[in-house]
This record gives sequence, C-alpha cells and structure tokens, in this order.
Amino acid sequence: MMQRKILVILENKPGALARVVGLFHQRGYNIESLHVDPVKDVENYKEIEDSLDLKLQENEVSKLLITTTVSDNLLRQILRQINKLIDVLIAKEEI
Amino acid sequence: MKLAGNDMLIQSLVDEGVEFLFGYPGGAALHIYDAIFNQNELQHILVRHEQGATHAADGYARATGKPGVVLVTSGPGATNAITGIATAFMDSIPMVVLSGQVASHLIGTDAFQETDMIGISRPIVKHSFSIESAEEIPRVIKEAFHIATSGRPGPVVIDIPKDTTAPDKLFNYDPPKSVKIRSYNPPVEPDPKQIERAISEILKAKKPVIYAGGGAINSNASEELYELNELLNFPVTNTLMGLGVYPASKKRFMGMLGMHGTYQSNMAMHNADLIIAIGARFDDRITNTPDLFAPNAKIIHFDVDQSSVSKIIEANIAVFGQVKNSLREINKQLKEKINLIDKSKIEPWLDQIDEWTSLHGLNHELYKETSDNNMIMPQSVVQHVYQITNGSAFVTSDVGQHQMFAAQYYHFDKPRYWINSGGLGTMGFGLPAAMGVKLAYPDEEVVCITGEGSIQMCIQELSTCTQYNLPIKIININNEALGMVKQWQDMSYGGRHSESTYQSSLPNFIELVESYGHVGFKIEKNSDLKETLEEAFSINDKLVFVDVYVDPSEHVYPMLVAPNGSLKDMWLSKDKKV
Ligand SMILES: Cc1ncc(C[n+]2csc(CCOP(=O)(O)OP(=O)(O)O)c2C)c(N)n1
Ligand SMILES: [Mg+2]
Repeated sequence: MMQRKILVILENKPGALARVVGLFHQRGYNIESLHVDPVKDVENYKEIEDSLDLKLQENEVSKLLITTTVSDNLLRQILRQINKLIDVLIAKEEI
Repeated sequence: MKLAGNDMLIQSLVDEGVEFLFGYPGGAALHIYDAIFNQNELQHILVRHEQGATHAADGYARATGKPGVVLVTSGPGATNAITGIATAFMDSIPMVVLSGQVASHLIGTDAFQETDMIGISRPIVKHSFSIESAEEIPRVIKEAFHIATSGRPGPVVIDIPKDTTAPDKLFNYDPPKSVKIRSYNPPVEPDPKQIERAISEILKAKKPVIYAGGGAINSNASEELYELNELLNFPVTNTLMGLGVYPASKKRFMGMLGMHGTYQSNMAMHNADLIIAIGARFDDRITNTPDLFAPNAKIIHFDVDQSSVSKIIEANIAVFGQVKNSLREINKQLKEKINLIDKSKIEPWLDQIDEWTSLHGLNHELYKETSDNNMIMPQSVVQHVYQITNGSAFVTSDVGQHQMFAAQYYHFDKPRYWINSGGLGTMGFGLPAAMGVKLAYPDEEVVCITGEGSIQMCIQELSTCTQYNLPIKIININNEALGMVKQWQDMSYGGRHSESTYQSSLPNFIELVESYGHVGFKIEKNSDLKETLEEAFSINDKLVFVDVYVDPSEHVYPMLVAPNGSLKDMWLSKDKKV
C-alpha cells in the first residue's frame, strides 16, 4: 500500500465529477484529497491530445487530481473503473 | 419537419426502431403521453407498477437482444423503477429509461413529485442524461441508445424536465445520422497477439474447461463458441446467466457451475489446468473463496469490459474485445494450426469428468415418480415442463429454490431462452419479464417458473396480461414458504425458520387469477402432475396459472460449502458433504 496520485481528464459537464467521486465510494475506495479545475492551458496537454487523437478547447474539459492509498492491483482496478465512465477521457497514475 | 419536444422524443424512439414502450403516466410525463396518444408507430404497454415496466422491458431485451424502453413519471414513478434498473445493470442488459422530471425552473425547490433521479440512479446505470433544452432531445436519445447497446450493455436513464417536452414550441427535427462520443470507445476487435498467446496455452492444456457466461450471450457469440468447441472438444460449463449459450444437449456440456452448479462442473473447474472464461466475471457465486479457487489453473479471460478482468481472479492472458469477434479470431487462427491440436491429450480428463457425472450428477428422471405416497418433488415439475414443451420454451424465473431447479433441470439449447435475474436476484422479475418476452414473440411458448413468494411481488401485472391478452404459462412451485431462505436457516441457523413462512395467509391463487379472467389449475398429487400440466399447456389463448404444491422440506443441491470452502467442497444432500 502506498499513496498514489490519480489524474483524470473528464468532460466539463454537469454531473461528470459526481460520477468519479461516487465511484470511489461505491467501490469502497477512500479519497484522501481531491482537486478539480477547468483546463485552460490546453497547450500543456499535447501528449494526452495525441494519445486520444483529439483537440482540446479551453474550459472544455476538467482536470481532477485525487490522492488515495492503495495497492498496485487495486490502483489498476480503480483506473479501469474510472476509465469506463462515459464522460472520462483518460485516467492514469500521475507520477 | 417541425416538431415540439414531446413529439421529437417519440419520433426519436420510433427512429431507433422501438416497438414497445413500457410505462405508467403521471404529471411530469403528461406532455409525452399526449404525444403517444397522437401516433400509432410504437405501442405503449400500461403496466400496474413501474417495477413491472422495467422488468418487462428487461425481459424483452434479454429475449430479443434489442434495448428495452421504459417511460415513468417523476418522483414515485422514478423511484419505483429503481429495482428494475438495478436488475438490468447487474446483468448488463440494454435498457433506456425515460423519467419525467419537474419543470426546469422548479428543480431544487422540493417541488411536488421532485426526486433527484440522476443522483438516485447513478450507481446503477451505465450512464445518465438530464435534458437541458428540447433541441438536444434527438441527440441525447441517439447517444443513450448507442451507450446502452454497445460495449458492455447496460441501462441508461434520461431525466426529462416537463418544460422540455412542452407541445407549444416547435423545433426543427433533424436527428444526427450517427453517434460519436469522443470519451467512449469500448474495445471491439481483439489484439491478435493475445489470441496467439491464448492458443499456445490451449494447445498445452491437459485439463481444460470452457466457462461461458452472460457476456457471451450479450455479444451473440453462441455460434462462434460452438465452432470453437467443434475444434477443441473441451468440457463446457455455463454460469446461471450463460445457460443456453452452449447447447445443453451436447455431450461436452457439464451443466451450470457455482453455488448450485453440478458436481462435475465444480470439480472440473477446481481441478482444471486451464480455464477459458468467456464473457463471465468470476463473481462470488462462482468462485466460492477466491484464494482457494482453481489452484492449478491458468486463466484466459475474454471480455469486452477491461474492469471485469483480473478484478477477482488474476488472468494470465486477457483478450479485450467483443467476445464474438475475439472468438471469431481465435477460430480463424486455430484452423490454421489444426494439425497441432491433439485431442487425445485430454481424453483422460474427459473420462474423469464422465466419472464425476455418473458418480454424483443430477437425477434427470425424477419425473417418472407417479406414486402418491410421496409429495411432488419441485425438480420433477420442471422436468415435466421440459418434456411437455420439448425444451423449446422461453423460460423466465424469479428468485429462490424454484429458480435453481429451473436452471438445473430445464436444458437450454439456445441462448436468450432462459431469462432470470442472476446478478441482483430480484424476486418479482419473472412475470413482468415474461410479458416482455411474450410481446416480442407472441407465437412462442413463454413459461414463468416462479414461487408463491416471488409471484406476489409483482402479481399486479396479472391485470396487464388481461389488458393485452398475453397467454403466458405461470408455473407456481408452491412450497408455502420462502424456500431458499428456509433452506439457509435449516443449514446455518439450526432450523430456526425466522419469518420465512406465511402461516396460512396465502391467497387462493386459482380464484385470484380467475378474477382477472385467467385460467387456474391446482395440483397436489404426483398422479395428477403430468396430466394436469399437459392440459394446462394445451390452452394457448389464455394466461394459465398452475399452482403446484410440492414437498416443502426439499433443498437445492449441490450447494457449495461456505464460508471458507472451495469449488470442490459441496453439500450433495442434507447429510452428504464432499
Ligand atoms: C426482492 C427480494 N427480497 C428478498 C430476497 C431474498 N430471497 C431470496 S430467495 C427468497 C425466497 C423466495 O421464495 P419463493 O419465491 O417462494 O421461492 P422458493 O425459494 O420457495 O422456491 C428470498 C426472500 C430477494 N431475492 N429479492
Ligand atoms: Mg416458496
């Protein structure tokens, strides 16, 4: 078990954040800290744009940073669960 | 074409190919109901409780593979739909639920019949939408159907504030031709490299098992699975959700596995050196104690949902993609390597399985009992129904002992014919689900095998069956108790039957169904069983309810030993444990 940081890029739509946060509770994972902002500096997200083959517009998506303490296996499971949410573009460990 | 919000909504459903809308009206949905009145392209089915609407839509979806569609009003209409949405969610059934909502300007004010439907349903939907303006209705409907039916299917809720369906404002009806949701890309085609790796394990295996579940049915992968096993001749087991995906009458079919699975299926899984999981998710009714599960098996896991793989049991090889496509690919690659398949390698294993089957397999000849010295066995009721219907009926079920007996003793040769709530285990599912099936297939035999406990949870739908003339057969396996609860109390609570019997309060089911205009039969003796069931099945223009009194002390076996047991630890009868 160690503390991890999870980065989630999701559509900036009503209800999208609640789905991610709700998922932690539903699956019995704990959130230690959470920070969310609309993405303004899209130029810093080239890598994500390329990996998803899309172009981001200012304020169109939000960036969510979550810290939680989990094992490797559970982290993989959490990331897969978050990635499955329809409004999530990408969820990955922030190293 | 210029249309108002309510008409756009109905037109969008028609454009999606919706034939039936299962619902119940109320204030927030009245604009929509007015649009339904003014058209005749889709048929609305008026249920008697919103739970019935969701289960009927669900039954329709399971039988046809097409999404079931539900319409309810806000507040209590929406909350009544929750159990059915959760049922569909647990079994990955495509469904679209339209819930009326109070007008936009009232949201958040605790208005009359306001409930946060999006919030309440969030953990039990694949996705949900809240309509913000009438213009977006056609796009949202299109996206909702796309999400409900693609990838791993599931229910989608659309919450519709009343003002967005107002009849007095017209919009240009111009639905999108196709859907693209940039953040939603479920896998379709498998990685051929993973298939190659899977094949190299398959060629090495001496004790393989194919374990297929509901995901293989959702993906319409029956033919591909059949073809795969024509190449391999491996033993096959199905989960409760997967029954029918591989023909039960094929020699290599071992029956269901898990909690009430057959001895041979559970033993084969426990002793396997290779488990090929196809659209199955290793839930706790299958694995028993995960740490003790199949200690020597490598796992190949085919699934469309990445989060289902290595969730409970670590997979050695994961193949992500539509199961149908993945099996097609493996069949193609296997055919190229056909000379490398050595079928003799697994012969000792197949012999071992045959031996297990003859040692402790299920007795499929209980129906031959005709003596009135013994009470009717619930298993023999199912066996008779199987005989009379030639194994070709759609069978829906409820939850309890009768459900397990139906799963064990009705042999399904085709997918989508066995329709039950496996994941949530919802009592009350059977009758409304049968209505959905019967509407979809009016010329097919549709049988609901239920218990006197479960049937009373949605019994109001008998009235719906009268209104739409749905000649379903209801076989009520009446043990005058919440039998499955009582069985657990017998086994784990010293026989203390806390609140699992009704103390002579059951209705006269025959008079009850007759009051709705249906036909009822009561059977209490073995010597009447066959004849009366045959008479019941000879009636095809009316709903027939057969109330069969069975031995109330009967238990379902095999039953896995829990907690701390593995798949090889089973009760085989009240006093025999292996
Ligand atoms: C809605 C709901 N409530 C409670 C349960 C728990 N439960 C599981 S089986 C069962 C008994 C079912 O009785 P009956 O329908 O008569 O079937 P039997 O086991 O007697 O065949 C109960 C109460 C459930 N599955 N669903
Ligand atoms: Mg009962």
